[in-house]
Amino acid sequence: MAGHDAGTQYQFTGIAKFFNSYTVMGRRNCVLATYGSLAAIFLFFKLKPKKQAAVAEK
Amino acid sequence: MTLSLFDQFMSPTLLGIPLMALALTLPWILFFKPGNRWSSSRFSALVAQFLKWFTKEIFQPMSLGGHKWALILTSLVLFLITLNMLGLLPYTFTPTTQLSMNMAFAVPLWLATVIIGMRNQPNLSLAHMLPEGTPALLIPILIVIETISLFIRPLALGVRLTANLTAGHLLIQLIATAAYVLMSIMPVVAILTSVLLFLLTLLEVAVAMIQAYVFVLLLSLYLQENV
Repeated sequence: MAGHDAGTQYQFTGIAKFFNSYTVMGRRNCVLATYGSLAAIFLFFKLKPKKQAAVAEK
Repeated sequence: MTLSLFDQFMSPTLLGIPLMALALTLPWILFFKPGNRWSSSRFSALVAQFLKWFTKEIFQPMSLGGHKWALILTSLVLFLITLNMLGLLPYTFTPTTQLSMNMAFAVPLWLATVIIGMRNQPNLSLAHMLPEGTPALLIPILIVIETISLFIRPLALGVRLTANLTAGHLLIQLIATAAYVLMSIMPVVAILTSVLLFLLTLLEVAVAMIQAYVFVLLLSLYLQENV
């Protein structure tokens, strides 16, 4: 497909080597990281124990 | 009066028997199958020429793997164009005004393109969710936006076809009713309304063909991304 590049001309260092918006793998990793973060946030709130309301004495 | 405007969109029945199957098979009856001769008839030659042009337009930019979709997309465009054009005849039912039918076309075909993409090139399919060159701060929000736009695609495909055809048919009925009612009251205004009705009908003929083409073109673009 026109437009997608192999990313061979980019020389990233550090974390940018894996997470960038220029290479296919970099973009893929950013997408997976975002989906993973959203899933983690969702699971955190879903599994968080709910506070039990104190029973009021009559 | 208000109810009768939408009667044309009701699924047709005859003595309780639904006629939807007849409405859907009518395009099949109208096209002749190719005969033994080299050149069957003028009409068949015209249809063949259209199909050849359409296939070339849609599949020239596509890689070889997508060419196996030629039959389904070409027959789909012929089917939709025929249904849309037949619906412009008076007192006919247009199946493509039914959202259920358009979604039944849009969702499975779109889903097929997504599954093909995920199966054949999963890395590239996931990478499509982030446009190239996005600034770092915008990456998460853009991924969310692109994911939402991915899932909106089948909805947009179905609703676009439904809304265009429904709106067109409704307008034709409204303006035709107005021209008819005004004929006895204000004949000159009625004649102007009839001219407007004629122009609107020409527009609807164009919309009928364009919307069918756009539906299939967008599907081919989604396929191009994934194949």
